[in-house]
Amino acid sequence: MSSRSEETEFDERIEALLRAAEHGNPLLPAFEELFDRYRAQQRLLDRLTRISDHFQQAERDRGLNYVDRYQRKVRQIEKIVRISDRYQSMLRELNDRLHLISTRDELTGLPNRRYLLERLDTEISQVARNGGTFSVGLADIDHFKAVNDTRGHAAGDAVLAHTARCIQESIRDYDVCARWGGEEFLILFPQCGVADALRLAERVRHVVEDQTRALGLSPVITLSIGITEFRPSETVDAMLRRADEALYRAKESGRNCTVSADQADRPRAP
Amino acid sequence: MTNLNITETSSTPAIEADWQAGVIRMKGDSYPENSFELFQPVVDWVSQFLREAKRPLRLELDLLYLNTSSIRALMDILDMFEEAHRKGTEVSAVWRYDAANERVGQLAEEFKEDCTFAFDITAKA
Repeated sequence: MSSRSEETEFDERIEALLRAAEHGNPLLPAFEELFDRYRAQQRLLDRLTRISDHFQQAERDRGLNYVDRYQRKVRQIEKIVRISDRYQSMLRELNDRLHLISTRDELTGLPNRRYLLERLDTEISQVARNGGTFSVGLADIDHFKAVNDTRGHAAGDAVLAHTARCIQESIRDYDVCARWGGEEFLILFPQCGVADALRLAERVRHVVEDQTRALGLSPVITLSIGITEFRPSETVDAMLRRADEALYRAKESGRNCTVSADQADRPRAP
Repeated sequence: MTNLNITETSSTPAIEADWQAGVIRMKGDSYPENSFELFQPVVDWVSQFLREAKRPLRLELDLLYLNTSSIRALMDILDMFEEAHRKGTEVSAVWRYDAANERVGQLAEEFKEDCTFAFDITAKA
C-alpha cells in the first residue's frame, strides 16, 4: 500500500496532467471522470475506516467497563463475606459468654445449680439406656453462718471460694461439683456406686479440712456430706431429698463427717 | 420530600431520615427477614436527597449486629455517599459504638475502608 505522501504526490501529478489539457487527448474526459470516481471512493474509504475505528473503540471501552464493574462487584462480595464472618464470630463469642454466665456460679467459678440439674437429667437417661449407676454427694460447710456473722460477708465469700477450689481439686476429672446454693455444694460421681462415692466424698472432706488447717484459717473449715446412689426410675427430686436427709444426719451426728443414705451403719470420720 | 421514620424492632434498627436537617440515622440491630423491604425506602430517600437537595448529607450510625443482607444494603448506601462525594457533594458519616465492644469499632473500620469522604468512628464511654 502506498503511503499518504505518495498518494498525495500521485494526486498532484494527475491534477497537473489534467490542467495541461492542451494536448487534446480524446481519453481525457473519461480519465477525468475516472479520477473523480477514484477520489470519491477514497473519501468513502476514509470515512468507513473512521467509523469502524470509533465502533472498535466503543466496544473496547464497553468491555473494559464490564471488567471494571465485574471486579468491583467481586471486591464488594469479598468484603461482605469478610464483614459477615466477623459478625458471626462476634455473635459466637457472645453466645459462648452467655452460655458461660448462665451455667457458672460467679463467686466460686463452679458450675451452677441449673447446669448440674441438666447434667443429672443426662446421667439418668444414660443409666436408663446403658445401665450402670451414679451417686451424688450434698456437702455443706459447717458453722458457715458464724463466719458470716463474726467476720463479715466478704470473709464468708472468701471461705466459699476457697472451699470450692479445694473440692474442685479433690474430685476426679469427670466428677462435677456445682454450687447448689448458699454454702451447699452438690457433687455428681458418674458411673459410681455408693461405696466408691463414700470413699471419694471422704477424700473431699479431708482435703478441705487439711488445706484450711495448712493455711492457718481459724476456725478450720469442715464439711458435712450426705451421699446417695441413684435408684432406677426414681426422680431427681427423690434422690436429692435422700441426699439432703443424709446430710441432715451428718450434721446431727456432730458435723465434719460423711453419711450415706444407702447404708444402715453410719461411716464415721477417721 | 417527607422524612423517614422507621420504628425499631427486636430484629430491625430504628431509621430516621430528616430532609430539612440533611441527616439520616440508624440505630440498633439489623436482622430483617426481608432486607429489601427495610432498606429500599432508605436507598430511595438517600438517592433522592443527593439528586435534589443540593445540601450536605450526614449519616449517623449506631448499629450493633448486622446480618449479611444488611451489610450489603449499608455498603450500597455508603457507595452512594462515595459517588456523591466524588461529584463534589458534601457528605459525611459517623459510627458510634460502645467502648466496651471494641469489635464493633473494628467492623466499622472495615466499612470505612473504601470511603474517601469524612467518616468518623467514635467510642462511647
